[in-house]
Amino acid sequence: MRLLPSLLISLSLAFAPLAAHAEEETASPPAALDEKTVEAIMARAVDEVIRPGYRDFHASAGRLTAAMNTLCGEASAPAFDAARGAFTDTIKAWSRIEIVRVGPVIEKNRFERILFYPDRKSTGLKQVQATLASGDEKDTDVDYVATKSVAIQGLGALEYILHGTGAETLTQEKSGFRCRYGAAVAGNIESIAAGLVDIWEKPDGIQAAWKHPGPDNPEFRTGGEAITALLGILVHGVETVRDQRLEIFYKGTQPKPRTAIYWRSGNTFVSITANLEGLKTLFDTSGISDLLPAEKKSVAGEIDTLLDGLLAAAPTIDADVAKSVETPAERQKIELLLAETRDLILRLNDDLGGALGLTAGFSFSDGD
Amino acid sequence: MRGALIDRRDFVRAAGLAFLAGLSPRAAFALGRSDAVFASAYRGADGGYGIATLTERGEIVDRFDLPARAHGMAFSPATGRTVAFARRPGTFAMVLDLSGRSEPVILSAPEGRHYFGHGCFSPDGRLLYASENDFEANGGMIGIYDATAGFARAGEYSAFGIGTHDLTISDDGRMLIAANGGIETHPDFGRTKLNLDHMEPSLALIDASSGALIERHGLPPSLRQLSTRHVDVAAGGRVWFACQYEGPRNDLPPLVGHFAKGEDLAFVPLPEDVTIGLGNYVGAIAVNRQDGLVGITSPVGGGMAVTIDAGSGKVTQSRVLADAAGVAPAANGFAVSSYRGDFQDRHSPVAWDQHIVRLAARG
Repeated sequence: MRLLPSLLISLSLAFAPLAAHAEEETASPPAALDEKTVEAIMARAVDEVIRPGYRDFHASAGRLTAAMNTLCGEASAPAFDAARGAFTDTIKAWSRIEIVRVGPVIEKNRFERILFYPDRKSTGLKQVQATLASGDEKDTDVDYVATKSVAIQGLGALEYILHGTGAETLTQEKSGFRCRYGAAVAGNIESIAAGLVDIWEKPDGIQAAWKHPGPDNPEFRTGGEAITALLGILVHGVETVRDQRLEIFYKGTQPKPRTAIYWRSGNTFVSITANLEGLKTLFDTSGISDLLPAEKKSVAGEIDTLLDGLLAAAPTIDADVAKSVETPAERQKIELLLAETRDLILRLNDDLGGALGLTAGFSFSDGD
Repeated sequence: MRGALIDRRDFVRAAGLAFLAGLSPRAAFALGRSDAVFASAYRGADGGYGIATLTERGEIVDRFDLPARAHGMAFSPATGRTVAFARRPGTFAMVLDLSGRSEPVILSAPEGRHYFGHGCFSPDGRLLYASENDFEANGGMIGIYDATAGFARAGEYSAFGIGTHDLTISDDGRMLIAANGGIETHPDFGRTKLNLDHMEPSLALIDASSGALIERHGLPPSLRQLSTRHVDVAAGGRVWFACQYEGPRNDLPPLVGHFAKGEDLAFVPLPEDVTIGLGNYVGAIAVNRQDGLVGITSPVGGGMAVTIDAGSGKVTQSRVLADAAGVAPAANGFAVSSYRGDFQDRHSPVAWDQHIVRLAARG
C-alpha cells in the first residue's frame, strides 16, 4: 500500500491528524466470495479470453496490413477481395475483444483510435474524404497517421477506403495514394493492437493484478471488486450491443440504416455476432457462474440459452442493413435481438449480480 | 443526424407526459404532508423507478413514479418545489411541487446535452441550475431554467471543467459551486469513464448573474485521478467537497476537503482504516449546520457512513453500512440510506439511490 504524497503542505492542511474514533456496525456487508474460486475465474478470463483476444486481434491486423501492401503492389481484383476479406476478419477479431471496455484499451485514446463510432456528425467521413482528396504523402506514413485525428486512423477510415466511393480505383492504380493511406491505417491498427498485447502479456503487469486481488493490488483490493469488474464487462457489453449497435439504427418509427456500424461493408451483423461470441466466450470460459449458490445455478443456463438464441439469429440477418429494416422477416429478427438483449441484461445485472452479493443489481451499485 | 439519444429524449418526454396524466389529485395532496422531511430516488421491488418522501424516522410518506432512474435532487424552500435529475447520461428532470399548488413539470435536456445528475435552485426559487454535459465538445455546462416560465430554458454557463457532477449555490445566490469530476464521458459509451489517464478534476466558483469564473481550483499532478464529484455548503459559505479516486487501488488518497472563496483547497486526513473502509470513494456528502458536522457515505469497499466534526476535521463516528447510499442532515446528525432499503433504522422494500435531499431550508 502506498500513501499518496501529501499535497497538504502546499494546499495548507488545517487539521491535525486524527485521534481514535467510534466505530459501530449496523449491517452485514455482502458475504465474502471464495477467494480461490475468484482467482480461478479471473485467471481463466485473463489467460483464456482476454489475452488470446488481443493476440488474435493483433495477428488479424498484421494479416490485414500485409493484404493492403499486396493490394497496393498488385492493384488486382483478387488482391482487392483478399484485402476486403482480411478487413472483415479484423472486424471479427476486434469485435470479439471489443467487449472489454476497461483497462489499457480506454487509455491513451486507444479505443477511439481503433474504432471511431458512431460518427454522428459525419466528422470522420468528411476527414477521410478530405485526406483522400488532399493526397498528402505524409498520410501514407504509419507513424504520422497515428498522430492525426482519431477519426481517420482506424477501422471506420479503412472501411471507407475499401468500400466507400472510389474504392474501385484500388484495382486500377498500383501504389496509388488511396491504397497506401489504407495500408498506413492498417499498420496503425496493427501497432495499437501490438501495444495492447505487450501490456497484457507482461507477467507482472495488469494480468497479474487481475488474477490476484489483494490489499496491495493496484486494480482490485478484493475478489468481490474483481468479479464486479468482470460482471461489468458482461453487462456493459450487452448494453452496448442493444443501445449502440441495434437501437442506434432501429428505434422509433424511422429506421436509420446508415447509422449502423460497418454498414458500408455489410459487416454490421458480422460485428454484432462477434460481440456476442466474445460475451459468450467470456461468460462460459471464465466460469463466473461457479459463484452462483446451488439454488441459483439455473441462472447460468438461462444466460447461456439467451446467448445461444442471439448467436443463432444475428448472423442470419440480411447483411444489407437498408434491406433488413424494410423486410418484415428481417425486422422480426432484429426485434428478437432487442427483446433478448433486454432480457439478458436483466439476467446478468439482477440475477447474476444479485447472486454475487450486489443486492440491487450490478448497474445500481456503481455509485456516481 | 438524429441519434439514439434524441430518440430516448422523445421517449422520455412522451413517457413523462403519460406519468403526469396518471397522477391523481390524492397523490398530489399526499405529497404535501407535513411530516415528509426527506426525499430520495429509488428503484422499487418491481424494477420501476420513482422518488419517495420520508419522515424523520425513515418511513415512506408517499411515492411518485418516474419514467427512468433518477440520481440527485434539490429542494426550494421558497417555492416548495423539488427536482429530481436523471442519472447520467439521462435527459430528463422531474419538478414536483410538494405543496400541491402547481402541477409537476418534466424537463428535457436540449439537443447535444444530457444531465449529469445534479442541480440546485436559486434561493428565491425563480431559477433552476442543472449540471449538463456538452458531449461533443466534452465540456461541463450549467443549464439555466426559468421556474417562473414553466421551466423554459433561459440560458447556460460554462462550468469551467469536464465531467461536471454536483452543483450547488451560495446562500446569497450569487455564486454557483460546480464539482467538475474531470472524467470524460460520452453517451455513445454509456457510463464508461473514458481516458482516466488524463483526468482534469476541479472545483469552480462561478458568478451566478454573469456566468463569469470567480475561482477555479485544480488538483496537483499527484492527485489528478482524484475526481471531485460532490459538494455541500456549511454556514459561513465554506464549501465541503468529496472525491472518488480513479488511481491505483492500493493508494490511500485524501477523499474529503473544504475551502472558502479566496482560499486554497485543504484536505481532511482520514484515518487509514476509514479510507480503506470507504474504498477510496465517497458517494455523497452533506453538512449538518446545526450540529457542525459533515457526513459522508460510500457503497464501495463493503460500505461505510462517516461523520466528521466540521470544526476540527476529526472523524467522530464511522460505521460499516453495506451498500451505503445517501446522506442528509437530520434532526440529530445525519439520515443515511442504503441500496438495500435501509433509511435511518427503517427498512423498506426498495433500493434507495445515491442521494437524499432534506425538504427544508439550509439550517
